[in-house]
Amino acid sequence: MKLELHKVKVTGVQWGPVTELRNGVLTVNKAELLAKVSGDERLASLDADLALPGEKTRIVPVKDVVEPRCKLEGKNEVFPGFIGDVESVGMGKTLVLDGAAVVTCGKIVGFQEGIVDMSGPGAQYTPFSQTNNVVLIFTPAEGLERHDYEEAGRLAGFKAAHYLASAVKNSVKADVVETFDFPTLAQAMTAHPGLPKVAYLYMLQTQGLLHDTYVYGVDAKRIIPTLICPTEVMDGAIVSGNCVSACDKNSTYSHLNNPVIRALYERHGKDYNFVGCIITNENVTLADKKRSSSYATKLAKMLGVDGMVITEEGFGNPDTDLIMNCRKAETLGIKTVLVTDEYAGRDGASQSLADACKEADALVTGGNANEMILLPPMDKVIGFPDFANVIAGGFQGSLHEDGAILVELQAITGATSELGYSKISAYTM
Amino acid sequence: MVKEIERAGLPVVHICTIVPISLTVGANRIVPAVAIPHPLGDPSRTLEEEKVIRRKLVEKALRALQTEVSDQTVFAE
Repeated sequence: MKLELHKVKVTGVQWGPVTELRNGVLTVNKAELLAKVSGDERLASLDADLALPGEKTRIVPVKDVVEPRCKLEGKNEVFPGFIGDVESVGMGKTLVLDGAAVVTCGKIVGFQEGIVDMSGPGAQYTPFSQTNNVVLIFTPAEGLERHDYEEAGRLAGFKAAHYLASAVKNSVKADVVETFDFPTLAQAMTAHPGLPKVAYLYMLQTQGLLHDTYVYGVDAKRIIPTLICPTEVMDGAIVSGNCVSACDKNSTYSHLNNPVIRALYERHGKDYNFVGCIITNENVTLADKKRSSSYATKLAKMLGVDGMVITEEGFGNPDTDLIMNCRKAETLGIKTVLVTDEYAGRDGASQSLADACKEADALVTGGNANEMILLPPMDKVIGFPDFANVIAGGFQGSLHEDGAILVELQAITGATSELGYSKISAYTM
Repeated sequence: MVKEIERAGLPVVHICTIVPISLTVGANRIVPAVAIPHPLGDPSRTLEEEKVIRRKLVEKALRALQTEVSDQTVFAE
């Protein structure tokens, strides 16, 4: 399967009479955007605003971030099962507005939504302080069930992202074209003799109760682990429906740009042979955890891989899914590297994960989500700042009178990404 | 909490869904529960059926409490 990503660099965003992209500046006709996105009776109000890098602007509570993409060539559309039909994606050509993002923000759904600061110390911790953001702000219709509200907000984000890319697709030329090819299994098995075979085990948050991820529109808690082509991920086959802690939920944006997949591609054929990507879930019963970890690692064994990168999403009981995947893979003779983050207490002295095993001896951390940060007041707040007191990572008194917010990093969108789509790095002293 | 109460001399049964975590943290008597969001019930069943599930789990836990153990023990059935 071959996919070309046609990337157009976006360095600014502004309102204007016509939605167009010129000299890197994305101009958006606000009325047209809102008309494309509205019409869902589940949302009582819908508005849009802009947030640019460096501005003294805060967005809260952030639900999802979506990169504007649409198909240029090839079957179907991006975000299959939501925008596109459910037919396979990941082939042909896809337009990417690189540097732009749609951020969805609205009255809180659950309690695990995030903060994006466009400048100041908080901006250092979220990748979305560097994107030119079109922010959707909505409120739910009265009496609406929370899961229906989550779905309405999720769809609005995809529609807006698809609209922005579609509106400019006929008048832009790519600055960069990146080509990603994925061979058939038959070819992959004999390619690059002498190099170790490597797979990616991609864990999706599926605890239910607003902790969900969708694959081609299917609630991933109902899947048996399966193979996915990495190019399908780039076309939005996996999307976030998550109201889990903001720091380590994988936004739709970070799925689209999954850095583990990119890194596996970069060294493919040089250091190893990247032969497959397996998706699995993180469910809430022990039987599900056992079944999925056995099935996922069995698929890896069937691929005959020597090593596997495993990424977690969320924390707490998913740590058990991570450890089960690790232990079962290692028992099958597959070396593993785990990517996770830590909840080690505000002083960093507590146990980092809820579960552990001796086979987990190669692990990359996204950082300690419990570490505290004081976010200074901003000139402008998009959304509803009062929720700072109730989101995960916040507490009663988080929001100060002057507008400053004292929170754990947990509350910052993408701060400790377990896909590695974050700005935190570390070195050994 | 399980370990601290036991340290004070009271035997504890940990009713929990994710048994591996309970084993990792060092509980001695473990009774597997239904699911993380509803350890002692099941919203897909009727209220009467849920009561049966709940009573079975509590009775199993009480039996576990009365059982001498020499190592970490999972009371599966």
